[in-house]
Amino acid sequence: MLGEFEYLLITAAAGLGEEAYGAAIREEIESTTGRKCSIGALYTTIDRLETKGLLKTWMGDATPQRGGRAKRMVRVTSKGVLAAKDFYNAVTRVSRGASWAANRTGSAS
Amino acid sequence: MMSVGWSFVEAAARLLARDKREAVLGDLVEAGESTWQGLLGVLGLVFRQEAVLWKSWRPWLAGFGVTLPSSFLLMGVSLSVSWSYLTLRCPELLQKSSLTLGSGTIVLLCKILLLIGWSWTGGFVVGSVSRRTLWASMVLCYSPCLFCLSRFRVESLSRFCLCLFLLPAIWGVHQGLRISTMRVSSALVLAAAITLMTLPSWNSAGQHRWSPTRWTLDWALCWPAWYLVATAWQARSKAGWGSSNGLWSGGHREQQTGMS
Repeated sequence: MLGEFEYLLITAAAGLGEEAYGAAIREEIESTTGRKCSIGALYTTIDRLETKGLLKTWMGDATPQRGGRAKRMVRVTSKGVLAAKDFYNAVTRVSRGASWAANRTGSAS
Repeated sequence: MMSVGWSFVEAAARLLARDKREAVLGDLVEAGESTWQGLLGVLGLVFRQEAVLWKSWRPWLAGFGVTLPSSFLLMGVSLSVSWSYLTLRCPELLQKSSLTLGSGTIVLLCKILLLIGWSWTGGFVVGSVSRRTLWASMVLCYSPCLFCLSRFRVESLSRFCLCLFLLPAIWGVHQGLRISTMRVSSALVLAAAITLMTLPSWNSAGQHRWSPTRWTLDWALCWPAWYLVATAWQARSKAGWGSSNGLWSGGHREQQTGMS
């Protein structure tokens, strides 16, 4: 099963779609979780997920705002989608009955 | 961003692979990170990558299973080879020893071949097993060499006699880096030849009795050759019988990914 940060990374990359690359994923994680995401954690996790076949990466185009340096583009594979779904389902199941999950359901309805 | 401080970040990023360096530096520029944050980020990534490599058994085997013990032992063998050569060259020393010129030459030749075989196979294992942590193996090899070189005091021999093993070992490392596995038959012949040449030396010189200490030390140098046989056998089992015709059954190491 995925780790918490792995799930966050896959979800951020999936949400960004064609625009998923290192800096964009990092910004997405930081803005949604409010936690600092180090570049070391990001790239070692990308490498690990790619080794597991959950992500596919390739070098994109260079842009002027990056000092003429290329982006490492990221795409979630179908295996990655399945792993993220499993993680999400597990978290949802384990959260049933938890006070914060019940409150959230109550406020939503 | 292109300040003096940023050049430190770029220098640190040289420890990363080319594509990753490009992506990481670009990300840092795009995020507008300060020099200090950039440097910490890059060094953090380098450290994490290195830590991931050391989670595997491979660098531990290469460093502490082969390089470190073999360096000490092969320095001893190098010294023995140099001493045998000196004995043959000086008639006074030859008369004092139990050897004749003919038997002494054969013993010297065997010792030289064993030194080359042990060093080459050890180097090959280190190169093939721990490609990306080779720096650590190099440190573990050169540290004992420098330690012994600084303490070597034999008037009749140059201190560099201790390092005779380095040349075949470096050759072996080079081959190990380039080639994945040896062909089973080649590995088997090499291992058998090394073991056969080792057998006579188990009778300690002049004593003609089995020496367990010597046996253990020799096996510590022989096992890389048998490890090569095992890995070659394993590779052939995976690839299927009779799929290779050349000396080497594996493809070039560059084609493989994920090796530590």
